[in-house]
Amino acid sequence: MSEELLRVEHLKKYFDTPHGKLHAVDDVGFILNKGETLGVVGESGCGKSTLGRTVLGLLPATDGKIYFEGEDITHVKGKHRRELQKEMQIIFQDPYSSLNPRYNVFELISSPLRTFHLCHGKEELEKRVFELMDTVGLARRYAYAYPHELDGGRRQRIGVARALSVDPQFIVCDEPVSALDVSIQAQILNLLQDLQDEKKISYMFVTHDMSVVKHISNDILVMYVGSMVEKAPTKKLFSMPLHPYTKGLLSAIPVPSIHRQNKRIIMQGELTSPVNPKPGCRFASRCPYVKDKCRSEYPVYREVMPEHFVACHYAEEINYLDKDGTTSGQEQPEKKTEERDLAKV
Amino acid sequence: MSEHLLEINDLDVQFHTMDGTVHAVNGISLEIDPGETLGLVGETGAGKTTTALSILNLIQSPPGKIEHGEILFEGRNVLEMSEAELHAYRGSDVAMIFQDPMTALNPIYTVEYQIAEVIQIHEKVSKEEAIEKAREMLEFVGIPAERGCEYPHQFSGGMKQRVVIAMALACSPKLLLADEPTTALDVTIQAQVLDMMNDLKKKFNSAMLLITHDLGVVAETCDKVAIMYAGKIMEYGSLEDIFDHTAHPYTEGLFNSIPSLDEDVERLKPIRGLMPDPSHLPEGCAFNPRCPYADKLCQSAEAELQEVGPGHYCRCHHVNKGVPMYFPDEKGNELAYQHGLPVSNPGNDFLEKGQKGEKADE
Repeated sequence: MSEELLRVEHLKKYFDTPHGKLHAVDDVGFILNKGETLGVVGESGCGKSTLGRTVLGLLPATDGKIYFEGEDITHVKGKHRRELQKEMQIIFQDPYSSLNPRYNVFELISSPLRTFHLCHGKEELEKRVFELMDTVGLARRYAYAYPHELDGGRRQRIGVARALSVDPQFIVCDEPVSALDVSIQAQILNLLQDLQDEKKISYMFVTHDMSVVKHISNDILVMYVGSMVEKAPTKKLFSMPLHPYTKGLLSAIPVPSIHRQNKRIIMQGELTSPVNPKPGCRFASRCPYVKDKCRSEYPVYREVMPEHFVACHYAEEINYLDKDGTTSGQEQPEKKTEERDLAKV
Repeated sequence: MSEHLLEINDLDVQFHTMDGTVHAVNGISLEIDPGETLGLVGETGAGKTTTALSILNLIQSPPGKIEHGEILFEGRNVLEMSEAELHAYRGSDVAMIFQDPMTALNPIYTVEYQIAEVIQIHEKVSKEEAIEKAREMLEFVGIPAERGCEYPHQFSGGMKQRVVIAMALACSPKLLLADEPTTALDVTIQAQVLDMMNDLKKKFNSAMLLITHDLGVVAETCDKVAIMYAGKIMEYGSLEDIFDHTAHPYTEGLFNSIPSLDEDVERLKPIRGLMPDPSHLPEGCAFNPRCPYADKLCQSAEAELQEVGPGHYCRCHHVNKGVPMYFPDEKGNELAYQHGLPVSNPGNDFLEKGQKGEKADE
């Protein structure tokens, strides 16, 4: 039985804007076990980065609870918060703007060590920094280079080394590979996986790239305009997405193969504004299965199949599910017949 | 041989900077026929955008210089055109869609004005007629005409990219240069835009040069594919050739780097090492420091593009030997290169570590 590391319950983060409250994260909850990876996916503006930052305490939560190793850390401040920062780290998206250009690689990697007084004496510090550089695969000859002299992949390795330097148990990876070329992206993903195997670190992997998230995650949480729409173990989500948004999202991915004739569901329209959202399902304006109830009532987030959570009023009808969560009839019915059946309901 | 719409012969572009000469494009040759879509694939710094800019003769000089080669558009050499000819050529014969719609639009003009401007320059129409046509173009790309009088900041990213596409198509160009048109967009919006571009391309019968690093996008839109690396074409062929009969180790590496959606792979097999610095290209085959099959020959002599199947070309020494392109690396050919020079002790580099790890897996 795996051990629970992080538990988030009904987390909310609202921002005040001149036009009203912006619901960046609305009622999100999940459990992350030790040594596992939770993938958080969604389009830009869906609140996935805000979720990562709120969990870390970089942004104060509006409402809800965050438990780390069983302890409520939602409103922890001061010295205790500092202790927590040693356990929870973040790798930022952009390796170009997240590193201070005036620091060289050695200073960049050693600064968390100095901040937390983890090394005593110059020699120990040097030893530790070089160890970290070896771990992330940065040649020691770069120790005195400045960030602008290095390419994106090497800079991202600095970001990884900084996060690792304090030996955290939990790292939020906020789109760590989006700015990199595919061949370099694969190198960084392998590095993150190796580190997880070695040190049993848990990741919360925030990304918009479905193929990356599939590769690295145990569980996947799909977000849409601040709210959770679906959460399931990776395999289940990809073999049988239940929410219409997830279906559309998965079918929209361009597949690098010429044989796969996936039926594309092109979702019309764009994301609704998260400022003062209307009641009802936030996906209603783009949903092909939309009905009156969707526009008036917020769908409850519920467990439709074992370990498979979804927030949709009509998840069963759309997917031909029986009450006990097994499929009835054909596995993947044609979309047209689905629509016809829905009309009957 | 039939007349091609666009023919690039042995194009060579260099940038002369303070730090030395950057060899951005090193002798590439391409053809595009009317109505055809060619995908130009490669990583950052492969010279894709430079190639596209050369087609428009827009290489900034200095520091850039087209050293030699010719670009024939319907038989006319673009590089020898006068300013006036270029003016007529750009925008009406060939139009470009830029990567970043946020910066490609002028924030202080309405979108219909910006589209109408293109039409007015190339067609003899009054301002009113141009605006009228601009609104028509907006409808084509799925934007209600009445939004034409709005400013770019009032549009979302996907809508802005549609405006940029409308602008490029305004004069029905025969060739469209699309430089990573969907990279800045979300997947669902990307699907919409790609879908629309495919429709419009058919409607206007334009040829397209699609620059991208996303092989998934290529699979859905292109007829032919050219894989570029360090300013050279490494592999060239039809979509089937590239995806099903991959010949070049670099192309293979690109495919292996993408996490698959259909299969479960424990570890990715990335291409080791980094893109070479274009001002210090390695000797021999440009890909040899990163190639798992490289041997002595690859380090000393550059490979020529050779035909490996009908219309399928590949630039690799080991492709034609009948044996699979696999050369055991027991000779210790695992030299790491930094800025084109072999590094004697690459022990600390993760990349070497990754390589060893993979061998253990096999």
